[in-house]
Amino acid sequence: MSYLREVELGSSFPPFATFLEEFGFVPHIFQAQTILPRVIEAEAALLATILLKEQALSQIQKEYIVLTLAQANRNVYCVTAHHQMLRLLGVPEQQLDRIFADYAQAGLSAADTDLLSFTLKLGTNGSFVSREDVTGNLAHGWTDESMLEAILTTALTNFLCTLSTGVGAAPEFTPRQIPAAGPSPLFGKPSSEGASGSYLRAIERNPADFPPFAFFVDEFGFVPNVFRAQTLRPDILEAEASAISMVLLTGDILSRLQKEYILLAVSAANLNTYWVAVCGELLRTSGVAAEDSDQIGADHHQARLAEADKALLDFARKLAVQPSRFGRPDVETLRHHGFTEEQVLEAVVMTSLTNFLNTLQIGLGATPDFAPRRLFLRDLSKIAHLSTPDRRPTLGERPIDPDAESVAKVRNGNLDVFEELINRHSRRVYRTLVGILGNDDEARDAMQDTFLKAFQHLGEFQQRSKFSTWLVSIASNTGLQRLRDRKHAESLDEDGSVSEEGFRPREVRAWTDDPEELCSKAEIRALVENTVMKLPAKYRVVVVLRDLEQLSIEETAEALGLGIPALKARHLRGRLMVREALSPHFTGGTRGVAV
Amino acid sequence: MISCADFMAEIANYLEGEVAADVRLQLENHLSHCQTCQVVLDSTRKTLKIVTDSGSFDLPEAAFKPIAESIMAKIRGERR
Repeated sequence: MSYLREVELGSSFPPFATFLEEFGFVPHIFQAQTILPRVIEAEAALLATILLKEQALSQIQKEYIVLTLAQANRNVYCVTAHHQMLRLLGVPEQQLDRIFADYAQAGLSAADTDLLSFTLKLGTNGSFVSREDVTGNLAHGWTDESMLEAILTTALTNFLCTLSTGVGAAPEFTPRQIPAAGPSPLFGKPSSEGASGSYLRAIERNPADFPPFAFFVDEFGFVPNVFRAQTLRPDILEAEASAISMVLLTGDILSRLQKEYILLAVSAANLNTYWVAVCGELLRTSGVAAEDSDQIGADHHQARLAEADKALLDFARKLAVQPSRFGRPDVETLRHHGFTEEQVLEAVVMTSLTNFLNTLQIGLGATPDFAPRRLFLRDLSKIAHLSTPDRRPTLGERPIDPDAESVAKVRNGNLDVFEELINRHSRRVYRTLVGILGNDDEARDAMQDTFLKAFQHLGEFQQRSKFSTWLVSIASNTGLQRLRDRKHAESLDEDGSVSEEGFRPREVRAWTDDPEELCSKAEIRALVENTVMKLPAKYRVVVVLRDLEQLSIEETAEALGLGIPALKARHLRGRLMVREALSPHFTGGTRGVAV
Repeated sequence: MISCADFMAEIANYLEGEVAADVRLQLENHLSHCQTCQVVLDSTRKTLKIVTDSGSFDLPEAAFKPIAESIMAKIRGERR
């Protein structure tokens, strides 16, 4: 049915339950992604907030945008599916045929026709979009809210078209034939818009009390303008943040760096200056030198990358900009390079997400913005990079792995050696899981899952990282998944992600000189365990891995799929919270020691 | 000029010796006349030591023996 292996998730899987309710079936495009349920969840949230919710535009207006653009993209899957959607929404077959033949002659209102001309231009030839296109529509009576929805729907259509091509989804209904392409529309000169702000009205928001922005400050160190331009719809911003967190920020399947490379290479192929710049900044904070990221944008074949990663970028660029030439052989090529099913799927989803983000930015007109949290920090990070050049991670780097020999033995069928691996790493895996789950019983239970998964996927372990780091990343993903599954979820992303800006120390009484002398070792251990257990999960896990497990910053970042700046911010915040909690026990005042 | 918030943001890097010489100078200059930051720095350093030395959540390998055995039983069962 598609290019990738599928598994049964059942109709109780929440996104599938929603699809069954809304459409009466589970679309193949999602069925094809069942090996990675978390991306389906993220996509379903985008679909629900952008397409299915009726606010400024009606669902039919939005489906018209999808249908006409999918037709222009010559994507049979999306055309067929959204033709069906419009029928479900009660649009007569005859009217659909007229739209299909020529939307401009389909008896739509002038304003609707103008809107479709705009979304088609944005979706197919974005670099020709200028401020006048947007203001022109505003002049025709469309509000900022409806233009924002139109731009988002256009971006989502490109997302769905790329995704369905990438996974090879087969239409659910008799495929609609798309007539041969007519002359391509003339859109005038490419826009040479300078740095002049976004086209639509937006509301100023403070990251401290606006969770979607707090997320970006936390993860990127800044709120990209492309998101600042969408504050009219906080619900959609939240769905976008969640998609970015599930697709880009995870590191257990493709590494985060590989996904940032896809973002960069595809944005460059789309000639999207804005995202190339943002991506350069993200890669810089991950320790990739500017000349290396520039080279990937210009021509990744000449960049310092492993052959497999070059093939990955070939795959992504072809899918993004030459979808009509993309097919099963491209998936096979990645498999030959050793990529797993899950990795191929992530590459497809990451490419689709990049097309979404690129289209969105062009429509919104957001201009590059790297204003750091404060100037001081920017200078500091520049200096910090210079002073620690040998800590930069590179893709080709192979750390020496003390477990390599044991892993090879297990792969060759010597099962007993796996027990040695369990014994060697059980303490670390347990600590990781307790750190995430905050509960001993559950941690032990999740330990079993972790080692079983590690065993099942040992063939996919590519020795890009050490076995222990790989194991910790499986443990943390297992733990995080359980956390998400909890009903009143205490999630790593949702627990009041306040930026560290707002953190002010409350306990400022001096501590005694020898605090560890005040209590017994057992008392201190109990105190620390209680304190750590009370931290919100996202801080707890970082404190456990860094300060208790004593993993390096790089290892922790890799295991949790976080960028180094985000990790450092969380770590600092977690440490300061522990300090606050311990303070009353060790300040001179409470123990009668003079300050 | 460095504020207390600036200092707080760099406290971890400072403790780990990850700041450049001129920044360190600025931080220490602030520290010399800010008692609050002195206290926070000192107690954060002590917090780190307490947490790291506490051995929290560390159980002996033997505590996991039953789990290891149960995992191995499942793996061997799968192979058969």
